[in-house]
Amino acid sequence: MRVYLELIKIDLKLAMRLRAVIFFNYLFPLIFFFTFATLFGAGSSRERITQVMTMSVALGVLGNGLFGAGMRAIQEREMNILRRYKVTPITPGPLLVASMVTGWIIFMPYIIVLMALAHYQYHMPWPARMTELVVFISLGLVAFRSMGLVIASVANNMQEGTILVQLFYFPMLFLSGATFPAAMFPPVVTVISKFIPATYLVEGVTGIMQKNQGLGDNLPAVGALVITAVVGWIVGMKLFRWEKEEKIRGTAKLWVAAVLLPFLIMGVYQWIHKTQPAKPAVGALETQGIGHQRT
Amino acid sequence: MNTDTVISVKSLRKSYADLEAVKGIDFEVHTGEVFGLLGPNGAGKTSTVEILEGLRLRTSGEAVVLGFDPDLQKQQLKDRIGVCLQATNLPAKIRVQESMDLFASFYTRSISSADLLKRLQLWDKREALYETLSGGQKQRLALALALVNDPQLLFLDEPTTGLDPQIRLEIHGLIEQMKSENRTVLLTTHYIEEAERLCDRVAIMDEGKIVALGTPRELQQKSQTQSRIQITCAQPFNGKPIPAWPDVVSRQLEEDGRNLTVYSTRPARTLFEIMKWLDHEGLPLEDVHLKRPTLEDVFVELTGKHLRD
Repeated sequence: MRVYLELIKIDLKLAMRLRAVIFFNYLFPLIFFFTFATLFGAGSSRERITQVMTMSVALGVLGNGLFGAGMRAIQEREMNILRRYKVTPITPGPLLVASMVTGWIIFMPYIIVLMALAHYQYHMPWPARMTELVVFISLGLVAFRSMGLVIASVANNMQEGTILVQLFYFPMLFLSGATFPAAMFPPVVTVISKFIPATYLVEGVTGIMQKNQGLGDNLPAVGALVITAVVGWIVGMKLFRWEKEEKIRGTAKLWVAAVLLPFLIMGVYQWIHKTQPAKPAVGALETQGIGHQRT
Repeated sequence: MNTDTVISVKSLRKSYADLEAVKGIDFEVHTGEVFGLLGPNGAGKTSTVEILEGLRLRTSGEAVVLGFDPDLQKQQLKDRIGVCLQATNLPAKIRVQESMDLFASFYTRSISSADLLKRLQLWDKREALYETLSGGQKQRLALALALVNDPQLLFLDEPTTGLDPQIRLEIHGLIEQMKSENRTVLLTTHYIEEAERLCDRVAIMDEGKIVALGTPRELQQKSQTQSRIQITCAQPFNGKPIPAWPDVVSRQLEEDGRNLTVYSTRPARTLFEIMKWLDHEGLPLEDVHLKRPTLEDVFVELTGKHLRD
């Protein structure tokens, strides 16, 4: 237990000493929050600020998960920091747990600040199911950090890692409803979005925040994120590499596909059954001409 | 295995696909000994050391370190040894004291980090960030981290490579201190003078095999390279015929007629004969130098390569 606590303590201290961590975890997403709020006229209705809030949460989870966990792990391997740990009795488990817990601790103040801003500045009511919201966001964070760790495991260097992270990050950012409300998507993008992991994150947060749903009402999203977290964790442990010289076989990159499998299954299921993921309250957006006019 | 044997290696082999990096080597390292592993790049020393540290699986043969099998008892072994690697880093923003506390938490036992930092002259730097330390301070911290679990066996992988001579001497002093504490050290180095100064015994590896093993002096004595005796007299030899001294391979008198260089396979005996002759001829001796073959000479003789090849 001592090793876990010491690693978490050090990870937190190191994170707080890096300006980039402060910027990308707090300032950068807040810039997006205010931009969304201005674009969508967040002060004019409960629906709009809740929508902005949903998008900002998803954006934060994606950034923290993919860049925070993934890129940092690659950097530590590239700089031979993990090589130093390798000659001690420590195993990958405590390192990954510490990374996960630290990511969560760093992320939660962002959520609190977002909530406070949305409530006091834009008059968003406090979410009725706050505990379930926090649990769902935490689950999303763990799932996306697991995904980030898998990417870190299969990327041989920072360049590869950056490309892989961006290959995940940008489609998820734009096709999940995290930056553009899902209501604005043309039908073909709606189908594609069913295969995007972040869609289920947005869907769950939307359901809990905008429709007062509980975790039980979002079981498909909860299930997909839980499976991703578990599979990502197992694959991350299996492929963990201490040294940059330990190159990974090209075929091992297919493990990334294993993490995406739950979403592939979910996408196919929803496509076949024509199930629509939970959509935000779009009426207000559409009346302003912002939303896509669906027939 | 002898009770004071810390490392025992028998017929150790390591292959990577078609490449056999270690070709059946045998050696033992005893308690309190500083054992040097020398060899050019690609000689197989890194593979050997990494097998002994539990970082790499052997292909065949036997290896026992502190009574543990490095393949099967990795964690127990890592808990008991200290390792100082050549190319490692710590997070730039970690403080010296924090790194000591962190590494102490990795082991089942640890000693006072304050004592260690004081011993390694890092106490005043305990609040300094890693990125602000000099090369020598970083290396001393690496040694402090290797000692945090109070190991009886230390693996030092090129601990002074890239450091300036003054810091190298500092690190030599620390290694001598570890030896005085009866710790066993397995040292790999590119610096011959480091091995000569610090090692009780050295093994010279080349192309996956140990080509020589013994104390630096034993290896020097076994060398076919001749010792050089340099005599300077106060006055010229004035055409006096120089005798054919025993064991002398060649000799050369400088143009000034005062400096004589003699190459011998048995320098002590030859030197004795020269002194006798000088005394007999009444030639006043001004200076004498005897240079035995260095470990570098032995190394080149055995491997045909220089250590930095």
